[in-house]
Order: sequence, then C-alpha cells, then structure tokens
Amino acid sequence: MIDRIEFLWPEIALFVTTCVVMVLGLSRRIESRRMTALVTGLGLIIAGVLAARTTPIPGPRSGQVLLPELIPYAKVLIASVGSLLLLLQAGTVDRAEEAAIAAGQRPYDPLRTNRAEYYAFFLFSLTGLMLCASADDLIWLFLALELTSLPTYIMVAMSTGRARSREAGVKYFFLGALGAAVFLYGFALIYGGTGSTNLNAIHAHLAAHGLNLTALAGFILAFLGLCFKIAAVPMHFYAADVYQGAAPQVSAFLAFVPKAAGFISILLLTATIGWSYAADAQGPLYTPITQSAYDALEGAVSMGLPEPIRVFLWVIAALTMTVGNVLAILQKSVKRILAYSSIAHSGYMLVAVLAGPNNGTFSQSGLAAVLFYLLVYGVGNLGAFAVLACLEGRPDADGEPAEIEDVDDIRGLWKTRPLLAWVMTLSCLGLMGLPPLLGFFGKLPLFTSGLAAGEIVLVVILGLNSAVAAYYYLRLIKASLIDPPSDADLPATPTPFATRTLAGVLSAAGVVVLAFVGGGLMDRSERAARYTSMMAVAPPPPPRKTPYVPGDDTPFPLPIPIGAR
Amino acid sequence: MSDALTLAQQGWPAAFPAVTLAHYLFVSAAMFTVGLIGFLTRRNLIIMFLCTELMFQAAGIALVAFGRYHLDFSGQTFVIFILTVAAAEAAMALALVVLLFRKRETLSADEWTEMKG
Repeated sequence: MIDRIEFLWPEIALFVTTCVVMVLGLSRRIESRRMTALVTGLGLIIAGVLAARTTPIPGPRSGQVLLPELIPYAKVLIASVGSLLLLLQAGTVDRAEEAAIAAGQRPYDPLRTNRAEYYAFFLFSLTGLMLCASADDLIWLFLALELTSLPTYIMVAMSTGRARSREAGVKYFFLGALGAAVFLYGFALIYGGTGSTNLNAIHAHLAAHGLNLTALAGFILAFLGLCFKIAAVPMHFYAADVYQGAAPQVSAFLAFVPKAAGFISILLLTATIGWSYAADAQGPLYTPITQSAYDALEGAVSMGLPEPIRVFLWVIAALTMTVGNVLAILQKSVKRILAYSSIAHSGYMLVAVLAGPNNGTFSQSGLAAVLFYLLVYGVGNLGAFAVLACLEGRPDADGEPAEIEDVDDIRGLWKTRPLLAWVMTLSCLGLMGLPPLLGFFGKLPLFTSGLAAGEIVLVVILGLNSAVAAYYYLRLIKASLIDPPSDADLPATPTPFATRTLAGVLSAAGVVVLAFVGGGLMDRSERAARYTSMMAVAPPPPPRKTPYVPGDDTPFPLPIPIGAR
Repeated sequence: MSDALTLAQQGWPAAFPAVTLAHYLFVSAAMFTVGLIGFLTRRNLIIMFLCTELMFQAAGIALVAFGRYHLDFSGQTFVIFILTVAAAEAAMALALVVLLFRKRETLSADEWTEMKG
C-alpha cells in the first residue's frame, strides 16, 4: 500500500494546495486574497513537476499494469492544460464584490465572497482527474470520476450571477447524477461478472475465461454512463445548454476536464477488456484469442474488442460525430457552436478507442492517438473559449457585463482587437485540422489507427465529418477576421484581466509551435500508450472465483465464520 | 375436509427453496428501472433527485449481493463509498434546488427553459 503513495505525490500536492487555498481566499487582507490564484498555479506546477519525475516501475507495484506509462503522461498533460485554464479563470467570481470593497461601499465580509471555494473546487476537480489516471480499481475509478464532476456542478452555478448559470448548473447536476448512476450500475455488474473490482484481476479473469454476459452488460452500461462525461450521443444534449449558461472560462474548463476524465476511464476500461477478440466469435462467451492462434489464422479474422462492444462503440462514435457537426451548423451562438464541436471531437476520439493499440507505433496505436488528441483538443478549444472570455458587452441592469453570445458579436474583431482575432483564427484552424498546425498532427493518427484496425466505414464517416466541421469553423474565422465590424449597440470591449488574453495567446501559440516541436510529444504519447496485455502471452493463471452466469440458481454459499479462513 | 384448506395452508405459493443471487439482482434491476423511468417522466426536481438516489442504491444492492456470492468484501466496501458519495450529492442537490427556488418559487423543471436551441 505504501508503494502506491509514490504515484500519488502529484495528487497529494494538489490536495495540500487546495487546503491552503481554502483558507487563503478568506483572508481579510486583499493582498492575501489576491495570492489565491498564484498559490493555485504554484500547486499545479509542483504537481506537474512531481508527475514528470514519476518513473513507472514495472510489475504490480505501479498499480496500473495494463497501461503502466499512462500515469506520468496524463498527469503532466493535466497539469499543463490546468495551468492554462487557471490563467483564464482570473476574475470569474467576486468581481463586483471586490470592486465594492475597494470603493469602500461595504466592509469585507467572508460570507459574501466565494473566491476560496471557487479555486478550491477548481483544484479538487483537477485532483479527481489525476486520480482517474492512476486508478487501477473500479471503486477508485468511481470515486475519482465523482471527485472530478461534483465540483464542476457548483462551478457552473456560481460562475456568473445570472439565472441561466444556475439553471445550467442544476441541469448539469441532474444529468450528471443520472450518468453516474448508470456507470455505477455498470461497475456493479462488472464486479458481479468477474468477481473482482481490481482492473488487473478483471483483465486476468477475462483472459482466462472470456467475457460473460453479466460483465458484458456491465461494460456496456459503464460506457453509456461515461458518455455523459465525454458528451457523446445518448447523453450529449446537456452540453450546449450548460456551456451556454456557464461563463466562457468555465465552459473551457468543462470542455476539457470532465472529457479527459471520461476518455482516460474509457481507455482503462477498454484496456481491461483487451483488443484480443476475434471478430467472428459467437456464443454467450466471448473468449480472447492468443497471439499464436491469431498468427496461425494468418489474417483470416481481425482482432479487436468483443463484437457487441465494438458495435456499440461504433454506433456511438458515428452518431456523436454526425449529430455534433450537424447541430453545430445550425447554431447562432458561438458558445453553442463550440459545445457541439466538442461533442463531435468526442466522436473522433472514440474511433481511435475502437481501433486499439494495433502494433503500438504512433501512427497505428489508437491509444496514443487519443492521448495526443486530448492535448491537441485541449489547447485548441481553450484558445477559442479564451477569446469569448476576453470580451464583454455593456453592463446590464444587475451591473454584470453582458456576455459575447452571437457570431455577430465577434464580427470585425480584426479591427478592434487584432490579437484576439488571430487567437480565434489559429484555434479554429487547429481544431479543424489544417495541415501545418497541431490539429492536423492530432487528427492524422485518428485516421491511420482506424485504417490499421480495418474500420474503413468509420474512417470514411470521420473524414466526411471533418469536412463538414470546416464550415462552422470557417464561419467563426470569417466573422472575426474578414467581416466588417457590426454597428450594433453592443460593442465588445476587452475584460480588464490580462491573464485571460495571455491564456488565449499561449494556446494559439501552442497550436502553431507544438506542431513544429511536437515530435517529442508524439514519442511521449506513443510511450504512454504502451499496452501490456496478459491476453497475447502464455495461458493466464486460473481465477480465484467462479463467475456469475445468468441462469445460475445455486443458493448462496453458507457463511464462513469469522476467523475460520 | 381437504377442500377447506386455504392456499396458504397448502404451502402455496411454494416457498423459495433458497434465496439465490437472481432474487437480489431482480430487486436491484427493478429499483434501477423504476428510478430511470421516474427520472425521465417526473418534472419535480426533488422527485427527480430521489430517482437518481434510487438508482444509486440499486447498484448498492447488486454489489452487496455479488459480494456475498463471491464471498469477498470488495462489494461491501464499494457500497460504503457509494453511500458517502450519495450523501455528498444529496447535500449538493438540495443546495442547488434552493438556489433556484429563491429566484422563482417553483420546483418544476419545466419552468427553467431559458436556454433552447
């Protein structure tokens, strides 16, 4: 147990920072309160450094045996994108309150401020995300996913003072609770079907006995519940409303953090199932084939996820891409366009999840493609939301500045705010996947891994969708870079927070620069995706327990008296 | 005289020979389904939240039953954590609902449709 702590130092660092931030944000002195964001950033940097210094130890000590090198990569990625997101959060809460205190209208009252809670929730959510990456147990994974999600519900509700933020928060919470209940029931069935909550033990059980119907139902329900986290099709409808209701900087947070948690969990669960099942396997038990048996068939069958799970994820991926892109075309609000585009990006990444590790090289491994695309998507999306967070309209009746809503509101940005116009352009081109930019190098392995796994139809759908997506990204680029400024009476003025602009500029620079120095990152994501399955090797050890098979009506075994074991 | 025996006296319905895992799983699946249907059909926010709680506890029943079946304690351990998370969610749900209720005195989800499209 104590060995495990070696891998949890980043999370411990973040948790300690959270405790400090909760106290610091309530300080009477304005200087101390201003330090809150700084301390949060410091904690994130420390966590990132600690994560980078974590060296995976082979063997069961490292916890995760299936994806042993995932932990450092995922945590460094989380800490880096988390730091960019932190720059964007400046002045989200307490803006009016601090202004009133500075103007001497009212004394400082700890009950009226919520800066401490806001930054603490921000850090709690990132801690949960890091814990998802280190999870090797269903219980752990469930708690980590809940720790990621619960703070975000509150962050949405308190992000602005408007009624629609509260509405968005409540909507997000209720659908989030539904999603959590669904994947929790899935976890219960996985435990029932395999007799263990440990992912490595589950994998060993599946390698020895194949996938039974209880575990199959469990995995399907678990993926269905996780679709909420990644905003994939049956659970996608909240995304547009929630992203629209929340402040843009919180929408940027929602578009990355829960989605990364969902994809890391999906990768862990699919790695537990393994991609070693022959496509034409029939019958109630889905048995993985060994490497030697597969080689003997000389390519007569294709290997992949068990057929029902493959079909399920195939349908979800195809629907998610198409629905996201088609609905994005119909939108007028920039935030809703970005929300539907983030749904479409989830669909793209599911293609690579389906493809699996193949031969493990960067161009063929779907796992490496997902891990690299999380970075590409995180950086590009952050830039687009940063532009919205940097602009505001005239204050409304409540004294709160109006938000930039429609595409028309960012028209002619090149004249008024050329920097932001370029940030928007580069981010959209990056998300679109235009060749010299980072998005292209992220999207290419999605295609190649899908082709390597033989998913030709799905790759064609992916290609068509990428072409459709160009329409609405070009629409945003045209509005900000080409159209003349609108003469409406809601001129977009910059917010007084320079770090938000900095976050936008950094992510736009990332879209360009990382494309040219991204070779190292690709190597890292390829290494992070190293998959050590027990399925392709010698016969696995026999399991400890008999799995539950539907129709089994043997009575419960007699209880063993305590101490008799 | 034998006609006078009631069905119960004849031992009908036949007593369960033993309670098997399937019985527990049936209860759990029924609770989950009731919760899901309730969530999708009811519009009162409190009732909707209770429905998600029902679904959480359905998973709990399945876990305890499976743990008993496999004779290990992982299932029961899981349930303890679920109870904790469910308590945290309950606190959060009530806080959020009160926040909405202060703005507009209704608990119906249909009253909150500012964002559409």
